[in-house]
Amino acid sequence: MSKDRKRLDAVRRDVGVLENDLFDELLSGCIGRRDFMRHGSVLGLSLPLLGGIAGAVFGPTLSPRRAMAAGTPGATIRIGIGQPAGAIDPVTIADNGGLVLLEPTGEFLCRTGPDLVLQPQLAESWRPNTDGSVWTFKLRQDVTFQNGRKMTADDVIASIDRMADPKNSANALSAFKGILQKGNSRKIDDHTVEFHLDAPNGNFPYVLSTDNYNLVILPADYAGDYEKTFIGTGPFKLEKFTPKVGASFVRNPNYWGKPALPERLEYSFFGDQQSQVLALQGGDVDVLQQVAFKGAQALFNDPNIDVMSIKSVSHQQVHMRTDMAPFQDKRVRRALALTLDRKKLVAGLFNGRASIGNDTPFAALFPSSDPTVPQREQNLAEAKQLLEAAGVGKGFDVKLTTERYMEIPDYAVLLQNFAKAVGINIALNVEDQNAYYGKAVFGQSDWLDSVLGITDYGHRGVPNVFLSAPLTSDGTWNSAHFKNPTYDKLVAQYIASPDLGGQRAIAGQIQRLLLDETPLIVGYFFDELVPMRKGLAGIPPIANRLFMEGAHFT
Amino acid sequence: MLRSRGVLVGVTIIGFWIVCALAGNAFVPYDPYADDLLATLQPPSAEHWFGTDQLGRDIFSRVIVGARDILTLAPVATLLGTLCGTTLGLVTGYFRGVVDDVLSRVIDAVLALPLVIIALLALVALGPSNLTIIVVIGFAFTPIVARTVRAAVLNEAQLDYVAAARLRDETAVHIMVVEILPNVISPVLVESTVRLGYAIFAVATLSFIGFGIQPPSADWGLGISENYGLITGGFWWTVLFDALAIVSLVVGVNLLADGVRETLEA
Repeated sequence: MSKDRKRLDAVRRDVGVLENDLFDELLSGCIGRRDFMRHGSVLGLSLPLLGGIAGAVFGPTLSPRRAMAAGTPGATIRIGIGQPAGAIDPVTIADNGGLVLLEPTGEFLCRTGPDLVLQPQLAESWRPNTDGSVWTFKLRQDVTFQNGRKMTADDVIASIDRMADPKNSANALSAFKGILQKGNSRKIDDHTVEFHLDAPNGNFPYVLSTDNYNLVILPADYAGDYEKTFIGTGPFKLEKFTPKVGASFVRNPNYWGKPALPERLEYSFFGDQQSQVLALQGGDVDVLQQVAFKGAQALFNDPNIDVMSIKSVSHQQVHMRTDMAPFQDKRVRRALALTLDRKKLVAGLFNGRASIGNDTPFAALFPSSDPTVPQREQNLAEAKQLLEAAGVGKGFDVKLTTERYMEIPDYAVLLQNFAKAVGINIALNVEDQNAYYGKAVFGQSDWLDSVLGITDYGHRGVPNVFLSAPLTSDGTWNSAHFKNPTYDKLVAQYIASPDLGGQRAIAGQIQRLLLDETPLIVGYFFDELVPMRKGLAGIPPIANRLFMEGAHFT
Repeated sequence: MLRSRGVLVGVTIIGFWIVCALAGNAFVPYDPYADDLLATLQPPSAEHWFGTDQLGRDIFSRVIVGARDILTLAPVATLLGTLCGTTLGLVTGYFRGVVDDVLSRVIDAVLALPLVIIALLALVALGPSNLTIIVVIGFAFTPIVARTVRAAVLNEAQLDYVAAARLRDETAVHIMVVEILPNVISPVLVESTVRLGYAIFAVATLSFIGFGIQPPSADWGLGISENYGLITGGFWWTVLFDALAIVSLVVGVNLLADGVRETLEA
């Protein structure tokens, strides 16, 4: 151990203040291996270095990369995905079916691995300045696009500016709002880029990672004709794309990294989950992108199928309009939240494949979440008292508007039944997703205008988006119309905080504030389910992603 | 009419469902809306005759009270379609000429539209609600009823009693409503009873694709829509009994419609 300590001391002399803070937290026992790996990766420390240090403290473990390396190459893997909603263009595509098609040929600067650890991809390393307002990314020098051209800093800057430019209606635009403006990415040399942020941001690399679903690096001269080429730097190249039918990709012989194991990937598009499940059971596909628990029960009992259950922070937010009756009184909001029996929700809706939520976006999976914040439990007596105190002791009628998506309609019915116990009569209005989201701007969207609603939020590696867009006073997704200057300040501090200890301290304050104010109910965080044919291996357990380069049959 | 065995069966089936719709809550064994998350997707048993659904609700209780929405919406939609169609049929058949040409082409155009397309257009214009369902089905049935009525009116309009009314300087409205309508009421009645069967099916279809009827309604079409994804898991009971209920009601109405037609034609 003393030898390891000497090596660690040598490392500490070569790194900055933020990295040393992280080492202190590790050595003092404030954080565990997972949190150390994850936050060290955000600061740009290499995974071998982090693994070595963690190994010295906790003992060795098998890295996910090494676990993936074995396997027989040459397979054709058939993948069932949802029908893409529109033309495949990395700039504008927003649905899961379309986004998953970016993965075979496209790559990100870094990608979120299992346990939310950031792994380098097209970036070799990255480092912040002392306050996290400027981040410098070193790019790999050996990367070429499928057309043979070298990838340089110009391509990276053009890709990011394209997404951050309000004129392009990019799906990733909201991810850059208040973080990085077009024109603030500067080329230092052909393989170094400096990002000058609007404000300090301790988790900025996540914004450039697979967390920002659309941000695959495209050539600087990309003209919008993606469906013709699926141009990118990834381990596969396009063989054939047939709109409304499917797409196939073959191994990219000039790939900069380790060659992909599969020889060929065949994606088939399906209109609904039911047909995907039947195709998997019938042997027409080998793996499905991701399925909702409801309707996928058959797969759990099928001896020919394995279901990979991945812990995620995907959740459904129940918003309550804080500026309108009856929820303008926080006691009424708290009362509704107290009616939920969260354990029953997790058991009934997911058969246990979910984690209980505590009415904040801070899932236990996030290392920055403060575990000392008390869990809200069902308490009907307290709920009735709160309603009495708020002057609505006899209950009230309210309409809940939501979308027909995954288990949400069932959740709405359960919420209705829970609320009935304290005299809150909820009428349901379950809409098609297009009708619910409308134009996604205030005044023209049932999502943003309804007094009570339920909205789906997909997995992210850090909670920054969940904390900002739906909850800050100027948040573009603030369906609760929650305006709280203290909260806004805390979130700004949280986002700026470069070290995990600081983030956790602020997270605790945010969690307590949100429990007190309760603009949202977060009842659970559900696991993501990826069903596959028995014998298929090598797909990393990463929520909301289906990376196929290591897939093989055993 | 009730001497016909078919009609008797039809009336019995419809009567049964009407009683269920009106008083089903009084004799169901469980609250049809109460969830039991610790007893979800239970197969049929002595405790739950039709099993339980994905929220642990008793399916037998839900099927019994599930007739309520469909037995409200389908007759009202049929009535709307019959009223509008009869009016349009009287006007086109009586006036003929340019009025007939123009309106008949419009009717042809509407007939060419599938119900689902009309429903989607109505959804954009009116938003999803029970009213939308009534309007969509009423609108879709109007041209069908109008064609039937027009054909009958064309024959009637040539007869002497209509000519006599014209000679008496009766208004066109008076002639259509007081003189002609009573003489074409038989095809109108036959058509409307046939349409009622289709309306039941249409309400179930529109509920299935997500129109109007909202959870936690026990409506049969909505129930099938909510649960059809469970069939592959072996949970057949979550869909089968709702489907059988729709089938029984449609069969009952069609038997009655046959009886009405035979009686009026006799």
